[in-house]
Amino acid sequence: MTDDLELIEAAQDGSVDAFSELVHGYRDGLFRFLLTRCASHADAEDALQDTFINAYRYIRTYDSRWRFSTWLYRIAIRNAARLKPPQVQELGELGDDEGDPLSHCIADSERQNLWRSARRLLTDEVFTAMWLRYVEDMSVNDISAVLKRSISWTKVNLMRGRRVLGVELNKEATVARSEAYG
Amino acid sequence: MDKLGKRLRDDAASIEAEISAGLDRRIQASLQNVAPERARPASRRSRPYSFWWASSLTGIAAAIAVIAVINLERPEPTPIAGNTVQLFVIPAINLKVEAAMLTSPLQQELEALQSDLRKVQRAVREDVDLSF
Repeated sequence: MTDDLELIEAAQDGSVDAFSELVHGYRDGLFRFLLTRCASHADAEDALQDTFINAYRYIRTYDSRWRFSTWLYRIAIRNAARLKPPQVQELGELGDDEGDPLSHCIADSERQNLWRSARRLLTDEVFTAMWLRYVEDMSVNDISAVLKRSISWTKVNLMRGRRVLGVELNKEATVARSEAYG
Repeated sequence: MDKLGKRLRDDAASIEAEISAGLDRRIQASLQNVAPERARPASRRSRPYSFWWASSLTGIAAAIAVIAVINLERPEPTPIAGNTVQLFVIPAINLKVEAAMLTSPLQQELEALQSDLRKVQRAVREDVDLSF
């Protein structure tokens, strides 16, 4: 964190190297998140590039009371939303694998990746809240700041997301059991 | 971490998100062409409560002063001659009212009532004459 602050100060003074070093630790996680949010792999790459450009351009507006990742995710979400075509606004309607960047990025496995189910079953905001909570380990306060929602909204929707994905997980377990018993 | 949380974390980790060298170069090249913008000046701090109280009181005092000056400079209204209204006081008339009892045939009763009415009219006229 202290290192981050030093790098942020250097980036605010115009050091591209400091900024590159600063975001290096965040870029894989951010790109993974953008792959789940964008309509294609190319869009996710563009969104990542735009996120870093905007973050560097407005680095002087960064408020150190926030975690840097919180601020970065806010920019990333805005960019992802901007790149998203209107016909795929509703993730629930995304049925085919052709346009889904996740289908090319998930390693072959016997089991279904739960994040694909999450894309299908949850709204964008709830999906993001779940991702930030369980992948990025963000606190409820930080998630509500990223999503610009109240803390109670965040708590309620995290619970809803958990319930929906819990049902999906149970369904999967039931199918696996029935297959095992023939 | 519970089962669902662990599963979500594992599944996220299984998403391959390697940033290609080409993308990395692209990002670095883009960053070279950008400079951090000047931070916008912080929005003006809200003024203290005492400021709002002071300005409210000043406003009220100014309004009172303007009203006082306008009213003091205005000349006294003078009564317009010949436009006075004279009031006449009409004394209350004490009328005696009695209910008519029908004890005779209708024609006779009508004549008696008309006679009574004439007497009453005379009495009223006399009373009015005495009053003025």
